[in-house]
Amino acid sequence: MTTAFTDKSGPFTHAPTSVQSTMTTVLAALVPATLFDAWLFGWPAIFLFVVTIGSCLLIEAACLSMARKPLQPALTDGSVVLTGWLLAMSLPPWAPWWVAVIAALFAVALAKHVFGGLGQNVFNPAMVGRVAVLVSFPVQMTAFVAPHPLFSAGAPGFLDSLRITFGSGTLDSMTAATALGHIKTELSRGIPVGTSIQQVPDLLDMALGVHGGSLGETSALLILAGGAYLLWKRIISWHIPVAMIGTLFVLGTLFHAVSPDRFTGGLFHVTSGATFLGAFFIATDYVTSPVSKQGQLVYGIGCGLLTWIIRTFAGYPEGVAFAVLLMNALTPIIDQHVRPRVFGRTRKGDPLPIKGGK
Amino acid sequence: MATDYRTIVRDGLWDNNGVLAQLLGMCPTMAMTTSATNGFGMGVATAVVMAASNLLVATFRGYITQEVRIPVYILIVAAMVTLVDLTMNAWMHELYKVLGLFIPLIVSNCLPLGRLEVFAAKEPVLPSLMDGLFMGIGFTLALTAIGAVREIIGSGTLFADASLLLGPAFKFLEMKVSPLDSGVLVMILPPGGFLAAGFMVVGKRLLDLRAGKAIATGPAGHCV
Amino acid sequence: MTTQPTWLHAAVLGAFCTGFGAILALTDVLTADAIAARALEDKQNSLAQVIPPGLHDNNPVTDAITLTGEHGKPLTVYRATKGGKVTGVAYEILGSGYAGEIRLMLGVDAEGRVLGVRATQHKETPGLGDKIDPAKGDWITRFSGLSLDLPPKDKWKVKKDGGQFDQFSGATITPRGVVGAVREGLAFFASHRPQMVEVR
Repeated sequence: MTTAFTDKSGPFTHAPTSVQSTMTTVLAALVPATLFDAWLFGWPAIFLFVVTIGSCLLIEAACLSMARKPLQPALTDGSVVLTGWLLAMSLPPWAPWWVAVIAALFAVALAKHVFGGLGQNVFNPAMVGRVAVLVSFPVQMTAFVAPHPLFSAGAPGFLDSLRITFGSGTLDSMTAATALGHIKTELSRGIPVGTSIQQVPDLLDMALGVHGGSLGETSALLILAGGAYLLWKRIISWHIPVAMIGTLFVLGTLFHAVSPDRFTGGLFHVTSGATFLGAFFIATDYVTSPVSKQGQLVYGIGCGLLTWIIRTFAGYPEGVAFAVLLMNALTPIIDQHVRPRVFGRTRKGDPLPIKGGK
Repeated sequence: MATDYRTIVRDGLWDNNGVLAQLLGMCPTMAMTTSATNGFGMGVATAVVMAASNLLVATFRGYITQEVRIPVYILIVAAMVTLVDLTMNAWMHELYKVLGLFIPLIVSNCLPLGRLEVFAAKEPVLPSLMDGLFMGIGFTLALTAIGAVREIIGSGTLFADASLLLGPAFKFLEMKVSPLDSGVLVMILPPGGFLAAGFMVVGKRLLDLRAGKAIATGPAGHCV
Repeated sequence: MTTQPTWLHAAVLGAFCTGFGAILALTDVLTADAIAARALEDKQNSLAQVIPPGLHDNNPVTDAITLTGEHGKPLTVYRATKGGKVTGVAYEILGSGYAGEIRLMLGVDAEGRVLGVRATQHKETPGLGDKIDPAKGDWITRFSGLSLDLPPKDKWKVKKDGGQFDQFSGATITPRGVVGAVREGLAFFASHRPQMVEVR
């Protein structure tokens, strides 16, 4: 940097972190899981990934130029790449390209720029994008494929993959319901959880990620490792992930103990779906989560509770995205109520009495 | 006060449009604009009720005392709505089957009540009738436009089932815009209503800004 | 402005209420017959979709009997008769869909074959589960001519459950609900056939 004045922060502050370095660390934490998923689902997943991030960047550029803001800083700080990355990880790996483009439009243009751009958005952009396409294209968004590892027999070749992502590849024969989806459908026709859980991958496979699902839903352990790396780098604090996963685990275990036929167990809840991705990478978004530590605990518990409620009782099998969005809406209220005490004042904002003075 | 009918027409259709400027009547706007036809039907039914109740209130305004005016207004709007509901059910049944669901909703729309309080209670009969009519037409236009946007994006059609509402002669209006079977469903679900209405309000203000007009911020919608 | 006495407000409000009440009462009297006639026509039209008009010389809407349906609820059965013999019946069946219950009208002929099925009320997802609507697809017409033994009982399911009925892409729960409801509706006919076809 040639002049200190181009920096957006006050020239008198110096912090080792910036938006750019934070984003780079988060992206680095996502790399192992992403590489694994790319291997697991092959070329279509890679194409989808590129299309999603590319369209997020394009839309960001378009929005910035419409608002007559400088393009370069916002495009290179990595925040929009992260949005696109998380969005891509929440889509089914073999979704067609236009689902990704529309999701990116909802995420970047509607959820971020309508509210005023980076730092102003109320809702997590990636999750708005995912929920918008989930509600809009139930067929495409619930067509999960069984893993077809790259270069393995039966995996689509490069050209076939282009057709899957950009053409009209109907894949009915290749679909495999997610574990959460399978249990929900079976329950709806009266098959108890105890029976249907036999038909889904066991916990070890779930954790390793060799099963159908969104890109980021599969490799739970690698996501967990990425999350641990973020904790170690102090990009995120433990409050939100622990509160969210803990709540989910406790509720799952408790209700499973009461009625094992109706409710799935705690460990299953934790390892399945987007729990880890949501808890470490999505719910912890600085902009849309509470500031104070107590607030983050409340927020994390809320995310876990809502995820469990949606998974167990609502129409959709997976609830992390909805839960995070709902808690995003509550974030200002949480911040309002668990405001940290200002130095030298009581919680109500009155000056502290001076000790010894009269 | 000399009555300026040009202003009344302009206010109703654009400048002080019930939906796009006053942000009144949001309940039917959100609920009934899943297609252009639905929006149009709701708008027309509302316009009829608005014209009739404005006319009645302006006629009787000398007899309505200040303290009981609100109950009387609501009584008049509700009576008009019921009248339209019963008459259409009996003698315009095909139309009623399409619109029947919406008509009782007009009572919950505060645009008619707002115009009674703001306009008809103070102005002579003919201007009041014109105000109710053109506010109603403006409401219809806004609802049709929002419905069209939601329908095109959400279902890939435009004016679907228009022939049910308007008669077989209007079959030509029914269009299939998108080659796909369905569209971006979120637009015909409730969030789409907020998105479409929001962008319409933005669009109106942009056009007003371009035209060099100061943005008139109408009264905020205090009721649904 | 001088303050007006309370009785004046009461009188004004009372006068308006009486006036408009009278107008509404008059309108009701004038329209009641027409509305009743329209409601009857609607019912006839919807019944005509599940009972072909050539099958009867009576009016099934008025020729209805009430049986005790499942869960002890009264069930109205509309009967089509020709020359004094019952040729078909229609009654409402309920299926559980993706978003609440699906109400269907099922028409069955005297031998227990399906004459027609129509969804009368449902809240299924637009573009997905609402393909049971005849306006949106011909899926619902495939039941015509089927009976409890055709296909055999273990094939009265959607394909996903090992039966013979297609589900729509992306929606299994809606067709499963409808197929199940029709199957149970036919079973109800089988167990209540004597009451349904007996001639009064």
